[in-house]
Amino acid sequence: METILRSEEMAEIMLLPVRHHSPACAHQIKKIIAEWKPNAVLVEGPDNANALLPVMLHGDTRAPFAIYYAYHDKAEKISAEQAHYKCYYPFLDYSPELVALREAHRNMTDVSFIDLSYGDILAASANKVSEGEPPRNYNDDYLLARNGYIERLCEKAGLRSFDEFWEKYFEINGLYEDSAIWFSHLNTYCALARENTPAEVLQREGCLAREQHMAARIAQQVLRGCGAAAKQEESVSQESGRDNKIQRILVITGGFHTVGLKERLCGESWKDTVRYAKQIEHYVPDLDESVYLMPYSMEAADALNGYASGMPYTGFYQKIWEGLSRQIQDPYEESVLELLIASGKEVRRAEGAVSTYDEICAWQMAQGLAALRGKPQPGAYELQDAVLSSYVKGEYNIASDMPLRALRRLMTGTGSGALCTLADVPPIILDFQDQCKKFGIRTDSTMEKEVTLSIFSSRKHRQMSRFFHQMLFLQTVFAKRVKGPDLQRGKDRSLIREIWKYKYSAQVFADLIDVSVHGATMEEAVVSLVQERLLQGTKADGAAVLLTQVFEMGISSQLAAVYERVHELILKDMDFYSVADALKSLLMMEELGTLYESRMRFGALLHTGVRKLITLLPSITRMRDEMLDEGMNALKLLYQITGKSSQEDTGERENFYEALQRMQEDGQIHAGLNGCIHGILYGGGREDPHAVGAVCRGYLTGTREQLLKTAVFFRGLFYTARDLILMEPEMLVLIDTFLGEVSEAEFMELLPQLRMAFAYFAPSETDKIAHQAAGLHRKSGRDLMERDAVLPGWYAYGRELDAYARRVLENP
Amino acid sequence: MNALDPLCTIKPPVEVRCREELEVLRKIDEEQGNKRPDNWQMSPRAVRTFILGSEKPVEYQGNKYQIRKKYFGNDALVERSIVTLAGNRGLMLVGEPGTAKTMLSELLSAAISGNSKNTIQGTAGTTEDMIKYSWNYALLLAKGPSREALVPAPLYVGMEKGILTRFEEITRTPAEIQDSLISVLSDKVLNVPELGDDGFLFARPGFNVIGTANTRDKGVNEMSSALKRRFNFETVMPVNKVSLEKQIILSEVSMLAQESHVDMPVDEDVAELLAATYHELREGVSSYGHRIDKPNAVMSTAEAVSVYYQTMLTGYYYGDGHLDVECLVQNLVGAISKEDKDDLEKVKGYFNTVIRDKSSKEGGLWKQYYEARKWLR
Repeated sequence: METILRSEEMAEIMLLPVRHHSPACAHQIKKIIAEWKPNAVLVEGPDNANALLPVMLHGDTRAPFAIYYAYHDKAEKISAEQAHYKCYYPFLDYSPELVALREAHRNMTDVSFIDLSYGDILAASANKVSEGEPPRNYNDDYLLARNGYIERLCEKAGLRSFDEFWEKYFEINGLYEDSAIWFSHLNTYCALARENTPAEVLQREGCLAREQHMAARIAQQVLRGCGAAAKQEESVSQESGRDNKIQRILVITGGFHTVGLKERLCGESWKDTVRYAKQIEHYVPDLDESVYLMPYSMEAADALNGYASGMPYTGFYQKIWEGLSRQIQDPYEESVLELLIASGKEVRRAEGAVSTYDEICAWQMAQGLAALRGKPQPGAYELQDAVLSSYVKGEYNIASDMPLRALRRLMTGTGSGALCTLADVPPIILDFQDQCKKFGIRTDSTMEKEVTLSIFSSRKHRQMSRFFHQMLFLQTVFAKRVKGPDLQRGKDRSLIREIWKYKYSAQVFADLIDVSVHGATMEEAVVSLVQERLLQGTKADGAAVLLTQVFEMGISSQLAAVYERVHELILKDMDFYSVADALKSLLMMEELGTLYESRMRFGALLHTGVRKLITLLPSITRMRDEMLDEGMNALKLLYQITGKSSQEDTGERENFYEALQRMQEDGQIHAGLNGCIHGILYGGGREDPHAVGAVCRGYLTGTREQLLKTAVFFRGLFYTARDLILMEPEMLVLIDTFLGEVSEAEFMELLPQLRMAFAYFAPSETDKIAHQAAGLHRKSGRDLMERDAVLPGWYAYGRELDAYARRVLENP
Repeated sequence: MNALDPLCTIKPPVEVRCREELEVLRKIDEEQGNKRPDNWQMSPRAVRTFILGSEKPVEYQGNKYQIRKKYFGNDALVERSIVTLAGNRGLMLVGEPGTAKTMLSELLSAAISGNSKNTIQGTAGTTEDMIKYSWNYALLLAKGPSREALVPAPLYVGMEKGILTRFEEITRTPAEIQDSLISVLSDKVLNVPELGDDGFLFARPGFNVIGTANTRDKGVNEMSSALKRRFNFETVMPVNKVSLEKQIILSEVSMLAQESHVDMPVDEDVAELLAATYHELREGVSSYGHRIDKPNAVMSTAEAVSVYYQTMLTGYYYGDGHLDVECLVQNLVGAISKEDKDDLEKVKGYFNTVIRDKSSKEGGLWKQYYEARKWLR
């Protein structure tokens, strides 16, 4: 800790460095607050979240929860894109900041946040955001962990990571150290970490601006106290000791900032800080920022899940904190043992491979490793090593790592928080609740309910469906469609009802807050997200799927914009399959337009797509085997659309046929695609059956490799012209010849293709083909189906023979 | 002539090569009164220091001794192995060929028991006699079954003396032979029925088994789950950092050179070049981000050491005492094209993309290396 005495202002400032989510830090802070009894506790946290403090400290609010910040860059302080930014500041029961706030609140001490708001931090580090992702987390702990100094330190200490280093020296050893010594070690470490961080990083991460602001807030507190003390001095007699008038200010910030803050609060810099405190600047307009509290989960707070929000293994350290609060002697030993048993149980349930003896060995391993590594108690890393060594049998790889995965889940924990009823409700939630009321959806129960919507006959149901679709689009966990037309996948389009299941939970609340950065109502958020996705997408199929979603959500204001974007992307996109998928979605929407009461007409867009697809056709001539289905579907789709064309577009069908004929000229054309094309040309009267037969014979009489391709050729052919085999007896002869040519092993290899080829026929058609095929070998259809029956007498005779043989063998 | 004299053997055992280090660590332990498991030659911490090296030189009787790091890669694995051996279960080291499993097992045995020679060398022809005991038939016929007529095999020796028994390539031996370890590992007693009531050999403290198994042999003789339960498994992964791989090549080659009295310095740049080649071919991606076809051959660090050492010997005996990059490439070909003829094509592809780019960007040795590609045939 650093203590600064500002005797002139009669204030003593104690700067405590912390690491977020560190139980040892929280433990030490609790001790210091009890001993030092500060008059004010100032915590690193956005000062525009001060209004949330009563809710955070309310008895009914349960951690983990997070402060959610959203900033809409309307003023273009960050970039001209006017983007939306959001981030979280999670708090766990053992977050030092929360412990400090709770303790201070219990002692009736003033508390407040003193840092820049999220928007201000972004703006302060502006021009640099574009170099990487904007921060998703308010904490900047990672600065303590990522620098050349710590890498060398871990290497020297023989430790695997900063987190292991931290646990060994600060968490476990911290339990046995005096607060002053513990904080002095931490201070030294933080100062070294800062020394080894380049100045440009400090600038880029907004550290310097944050420190300037925090120092100013501290100065304001000092001056406020100074003014109050002066007044008190006037009214109170001289009897009271001087000490009583000294204001004690406890400042809790990330360890990285302590050094920076100290510099600004001492010596000559103090004057600058005071000057700045009198006219604190904000970088972004207040109105563009919003701050809410939201329930949070252990999973989300675990740093390893992506947000780098302090220490990992939230579930494990929660246990340590609970142990510390119960004042037990060895919280680490107890938690390690508990988790070894719990993970053993999980593994036993899943694989049945861990015995009690394994658990004993794992426990010995954890203790042995702690002793070898010079730790007074085993920690998270010994726990993982013990499970790896004692529970994983055989080589450690992705197939055998289940015990470690189970342990990891337990170490993360599953708890989630809740807010008291005083918590502010963001407008998007009010909008959601209004709509629920309108549709008679109850939000006071967490039971799952089911509702069936006749979307084409009831206007109210149609609106409800739109509401559910919007909730789906906003990625909330509120509703899921169990049945109904699926326009994104083009499935179940003939269904006229939708069945939805919905369930209200605290998570829905959190999910909606999460998207509230995009708008104050659900529709606004949807519109903003649609626009964002439109800009991001570069493929026609993706944009067309988005169009179907907009269509389902009934956001008519956006249809035109998405329509334009699809048009633009169809023109730009050079990927045949992507354009074909887009076309399929468009055709579907054209067909369903009346049902969904859309006034949009897709005719022009369809024709643009068709023309583009025809120009791209040659690119798929030599397609890979796995693309055959998609390619054939696209050809069929083109055939359908060009068949529907009105008078002025008749040229499209012609162009289509011409493109197909050109593709046939390529000697390397994929056999399946070739078959499909011949089928289309035959169906369109462009080719007679003999020509098709000739191509087929070409494969049959070709080299061995070509002969084997006949199967896939048939598959393509029957996909588009299955009547050919029924109308032209020659085709059957060709198939028969082909089957005669291949060996049994080759036949087995080709069987899947042949099965697919015949899957396009109706059962009665296959029967008919079988009859004709049998006829080729002078058999009737019945001959194929019937076998001689086994007479009961024969069966009895066989059984007797069997018994006789056994007798003879047993008694030779 | 003493077979363990460094001058008379190609590769003396670890306890001979590192006699001084072991001695010093043992004495320091005694002096400081460090706790050690029964029959162990030194404390677990001293074993760790012996294998992973000391950050600063250790002091004993006014002299300073630098304990060299002998095993590179995963320090936590070494720590787990030490703790396992102090416990009730055997240690099974599994991994790809050439990941220094055997070396680690030797180091552990030499440090813990002062003896790394009590070893069963597993092959398809290994029998139970070679593991437990057999008989001196002349004595057996003359005196009947007695202790004198019994010829102890490594497992017997380990139990009798309270030292570690190493079982190399355990999965090369038939499953039923492997299973002869099961009851010994759990009960710590070996029954010799021929000796009647005196036939029970109870293991002395300090006894344990270190097995090594190659993951490329998986499926040849899969271990039974009963045997697996009696071991703690440690999977030894290939080194994942070029700098570390380079360090291993340097340290191993200098040791080999010293043992063979080859007076030639080890070239750091060549070691780095070789380490990068092996690392990239093993991982399938270059430091510039090229995707590379991985050869099927074993691309272990041990192979890289042997390629370097071979090149060094050629330079020493046939050349001008310098390392020749062309010769290095020739040896690389020999090391890679063992099993699959496509491997050579893959290495050619690697030279024609990655090494070409490196030679044009970095020049120098990389350029010579690229020019030597003509030997890839």
